Amino acid sequence: MSKPESIVYVVDDDESVREAIQSLIRSVGLHVEAFASAQDFLRSKRPDVPGCLVLDIRLPGFSGLQLQRKLADADIKIPIVFMTGHGDIPMTVKAMKAGAVEFLTKPFRDQDLLDAIQQAIETDRSARRERSLTDDLRERYESLTPREREVTRLVVSGLLNKQIAGELGTSEVTVKTQRGQVMQKMGAGSLADLVRMAERLGVRTPKD
Amino acid sequence: MSEFLSKLFSSDFMPHGACYLWRPEIVWLHATSDTVIALSYYLIPIVLIYFVRKRTDLPFNWIFVMFGVFILACGTTHLMEVVTLWDPVYRLSGVIKAFTAVVSIATAVMLVRLIPQALALPSPTQLRTANLKLEREIKERRRVEEALHHAHDELEAKVQERTAQLASTNEELRKQIVERQHAEEALHTAQSQLAHVTRVTSMGELMASIAHEVNQPLSAIVTNGSAAQRWLSAPTPNLEEAKTAITRIIRQGNRASELIKEIRAFVKKSPPQKSRVEINDVIRETVALVSRESLRNHVALQTDLGTDLPALTADRVQLQQVLVNLMMNGIEAMSAIENRSRQLSITSEPQENPDGVLVAVRDSGTGISPQNLERLFETFFTTKTEGMGMGLAIGRSIVKAHGGRLWAEANPDHGATFRFMIPTVGEASP
Repeated sequence: MSKPESIVYVVDDDESVREAIQSLIRSVGLHVEAFASAQDFLRSKRPDVPGCLVLDIRLPGFSGLQLQRKLADADIKIPIVFMTGHGDIPMTVKAMKAGAVEFLTKPFRDQDLLDAIQQAIETDRSARRERSLTDDLRERYESLTPREREVTRLVVSGLLNKQIAGELGTSEVTVKTQRGQVMQKMGAGSLADLVRMAERLGVRTPKD
Repeated sequence: MSEFLSKLFSSDFMPHGACYLWRPEIVWLHATSDTVIALSYYLIPIVLIYFVRKRTDLPFNWIFVMFGVFILACGTTHLMEVVTLWDPVYRLSGVIKAFTAVVSIATAVMLVRLIPQALALPSPTQLRTANLKLEREIKERRRVEEALHHAHDELEAKVQERTAQLASTNEELRKQIVERQHAEEALHTAQSQLAHVTRVTSMGELMASIAHEVNQPLSAIVTNGSAAQRWLSAPTPNLEEAKTAITRIIRQGNRASELIKEIRAFVKKSPPQKSRVEINDVIRETVALVSRESLRNHVALQTDLGTDLPALTADRVQLQQVLVNLMMNGIEAMSAIENRSRQLSITSEPQENPDGVLVAVRDSGTGISPQNLERLFETFFTTKTEGMGMGLAIGRSIVKAHGGRLWAEANPDHGATFRFMIPTVGEASP
């Protein structure tokens, strides 16, 4: 079975609700996987594709809110759509503060759930894209020599080649060559590009 | 005799002076001496009378009077001696002498008879000794009296002190009693609040879990319905998926209905513990239970319990539950009434055909609108902001379980009356 484009995870202890939600999600052509408990979900092997979690607040074992915290602690970034049997405002606030995408009261309108899922998957997709871009950049940055990283830091802090040479105690020509290496390895088309990359990577400039 | 009397003052004798041969010296000697004696004798009784009048305390003072009379008589005889010197009225002087003699004899006899008594009189010395003794005694007695007085005063002071102590102890006790009463009242309030909270909480929890249980299948039905709709309205409808979803809808619908049946069964589950029950006893107990609540709400509780009511075979606790609920409802219905008296009356009377008892709980509260009269008994129907809508529903089911009937009527003036009839031969109606 080929890797699906995205996956919706459903965690609800009530089989009937689980089945119904699965069916509804499938009917719009999305891939769905359902679990009866938070533990089952945590134990599952999840392919590295955009997705979201449709989570019931009230669960045996640990609750939906606890699972949300647990995922955050484990740095597992997955957007969550909460469901609850009764609208409990403090609970809703707590969930939303902790980054939930949506909070639905059962029984909910099908479109509300599907919209929330769609939005959650989009959020995850762009977050993933961001993350992968950063990962890619980090990889490239890792490939730089220590001297090239130093040059990068000085370049993005706005120094001229002459100043960098003075700072590093080398010739301006050497700096120019190293700078060319950096631009090439990092795949930066301009100084502005490089500055953006350094920002994303959190490269510290000497002035900081 | 009459001759004697008629000649009493006649001087047909020789004057006495003639006996003295009118010798002036002898005549005047006698005249002067007799006059002096007479005057002296007249003076003495005056003194005696004065003495007697002054010393009324003297014993035998009549003897002094006797002496007085006797001496007066003697004086007169001497005066007569002087008179007869010249005027020979010997008859008169004789009569006076005779009178004097009689008085003398009487006085002498009395004196003789008086002597032993007079001798018995204490002498002044004796009196003085006795007096001294008496004085000493008086002094002693005064001292004792004073001591007694003192002791009495001390006692009085002590009594007062003790009384004051007692009064303050009493006051203290009274304060403690009042405090205790306050504490008790507070405790009661806390208890009834707690009871209320417990009731509401447990009911609330029960309701929440019932709601959750019913909501799950409902939610599944809605979602399955939506899914089925989508499967069917897809460009190429997926009939299999739609059918599966619909099957699940039916299953969940049945599940919800099962749940409701279970709840119903749960409500009816506890079978009544039937025993012989006098409804009036139950009413009295219940009135005692809610009396505090009615006092707090300024509701006057009245009972008019019928006599010769048949005994019931019923669950005492359940009947009490029904009564508490009806009375509390009545009290609550009157809590906002300000312009008329808040009266809750409970009556009981025998019923015939079928035999049983009829109990009525009548309030003067806000009353019930006609459209709510029957809805009142529906589960979860309530007109109260804090009500669960369970009380009357449960009440009706209890009365039904006893083969009876519970209904409500609007009063012609104010408020409502809830009545229930329980037959003596309780046969649960379906």
